[in-house]
Amino acid sequence: MTDSALAVNTAQTMAAPLADTKITVRNLHFYYNGFHALKGINMDIPEKKVTAIIGPSGCGKSTLLRIFNRIYAIYPKLEAKGDIVLDGENILDPGYSMNRLRSKVGMVFQKPVPFPMTIFENVAYGIRHHEKLSKSDMEGRVEQALRSAALWDEVKDKLKQNALGLSGGQQQRLCIARAIALKPEVLLLDEPTSALDPIATSRIEQLVEELKSEFTIVIVTHNMQQAARCSDLTAFMYMGELIEFDNTEKIFTKPGKKQTEDYITGRFG
Amino acid sequence: MSSIYLRRRITNWLAMGFSALATLIGLTFLAWILWETLRQGISALNFKLFTGITANGDEGGLANAMVGSLIINFLGIAIATPIGVLAGTWLAEYANRTKLGETIRFLNDILLSAPSIVMGLFVYTIIVLPSTVLTHGSTSFSGFAGGVALALIALPVIVRTTDEMLRLVPSTLREAALSLGVPQWKLTMQILIRAARSGIITGVLLALARISGETAPLLFTAFGNNYMTLNPIDKMSSLPQIIYQYANDPGDTAHAMAWAGAFVVTMFVLLLSLGSRLVFSRNKVSHD
Repeated sequence: MTDSALAVNTAQTMAAPLADTKITVRNLHFYYNGFHALKGINMDIPEKKVTAIIGPSGCGKSTLLRIFNRIYAIYPKLEAKGDIVLDGENILDPGYSMNRLRSKVGMVFQKPVPFPMTIFENVAYGIRHHEKLSKSDMEGRVEQALRSAALWDEVKDKLKQNALGLSGGQQQRLCIARAIALKPEVLLLDEPTSALDPIATSRIEQLVEELKSEFTIVIVTHNMQQAARCSDLTAFMYMGELIEFDNTEKIFTKPGKKQTEDYITGRFG
Repeated sequence: MSSIYLRRRITNWLAMGFSALATLIGLTFLAWILWETLRQGISALNFKLFTGITANGDEGGLANAMVGSLIINFLGIAIATPIGVLAGTWLAEYANRTKLGETIRFLNDILLSAPSIVMGLFVYTIIVLPSTVLTHGSTSFSGFAGGVALALIALPVIVRTTDEMLRLVPSTLREAALSLGVPQWKLTMQILIRAARSGIITGVLLALARISGETAPLLFTAFGNNYMTLNPIDKMSSLPQIIYQYANDPGDTAHAMAWAGAFVVTMFVLLLSLGSRLVFSRNKVSHD
């Protein structure tokens, strides 16, 4: 059933000449305890593409990402103003259910953070909160998520073992499995490979490539090569402003703005 | 050039020598205490010590005191653990960085360093005296009152360790769970407490070790009893109280039994501490 749904999705994407917009950001401002961290961001994030956000430390790229699922809201004194429209609804509207938002928008963090439970439970935990599934359906869902995260073959014989025993790269793929197990529509990746070695990094990048047929992916990275390798679009941010947002190829070959060019060519950052 | 290196090397050796010496002094006293309690109590460390009761004096043992200690300590931990773990969880997860939370944390630290005899007197006035009046004297001092007094000593220890262990759990784990849509209470009860579990258990074991040696709070609450009792609303004996009593006795046999009792308590605390270290190191969870 899922396979056919996937096939339909893929067919639609291919049929569409231009990707539809999944997330529309309009005049977004963000304040950290009074500090103006994002200054009027406008961008349209296309569906089922990989959008990379790059920029020097402190430019606001992670801040922007953390607004898309409103995870910033767990800390006091942080405030977002403006509109972020996901499928026609403004997620910054206080009436937008957090539960619904977080089942539609999944997130993977910089450091792999498995829960202190078994590998199976790590993936099943989130599903169990949103859906009541029979034991066999649950096993199917967990397997499917682990397969999509390219982890199944490595863990299928030790699902009952503690997830903290996995390597860093495996833990990060487990976190991706945990996020996609909820069948979100958008996947936010916040520097997902900065704590990993080059081999684990390339596996994650490969995975991002595979996952974009199913999810709209937004990835924050401080690594320009990574953005160039695995994204379709790239946004360059500097000092809380979105300087340039275009096709990745264009950004890295003939950027439209001087600041982008200076950053890409390593003149600052 | 080389004189700088030489000076650094000498400073290094001196610092290392002094810290090694300090460690040695600490360990010497620990070993000395263990050795002394064993040497003085060895003549009374026999089967009879664990089966006889204090009513039989020199011919008896300390069984009633050991059983009493176990019951009172158990009551103390059973009362303090749920309250302490919940209060510590509230401090770390719901009141962290709030004025109220900071105030309560400060008050808890005061409770942590309150003299233990104050706890005994406090429980004497809130439990022992009222129960004497209400029951016309048929119930007054009790093992239960002793347990409450010990719970008041264990409580701030458990609150403090639970609070600290939960605050050590990285905030990324909270973000990861919340980003799945999991509500705060589920995150706290199912993930954070589990992540901090070995630290919290260690705190409870340390609290148990701390109350096992308490004498003063029991004098006005459990009082003492020369006969074996399992009834918690009866007067109850405990090892520290018997050690105190026998140490004041003029007889040599009583002295030996007090030493033997001291050895038993010390070994119990030592094994508890070792056990808690074992729990902590085995389940230590690292997210770094």
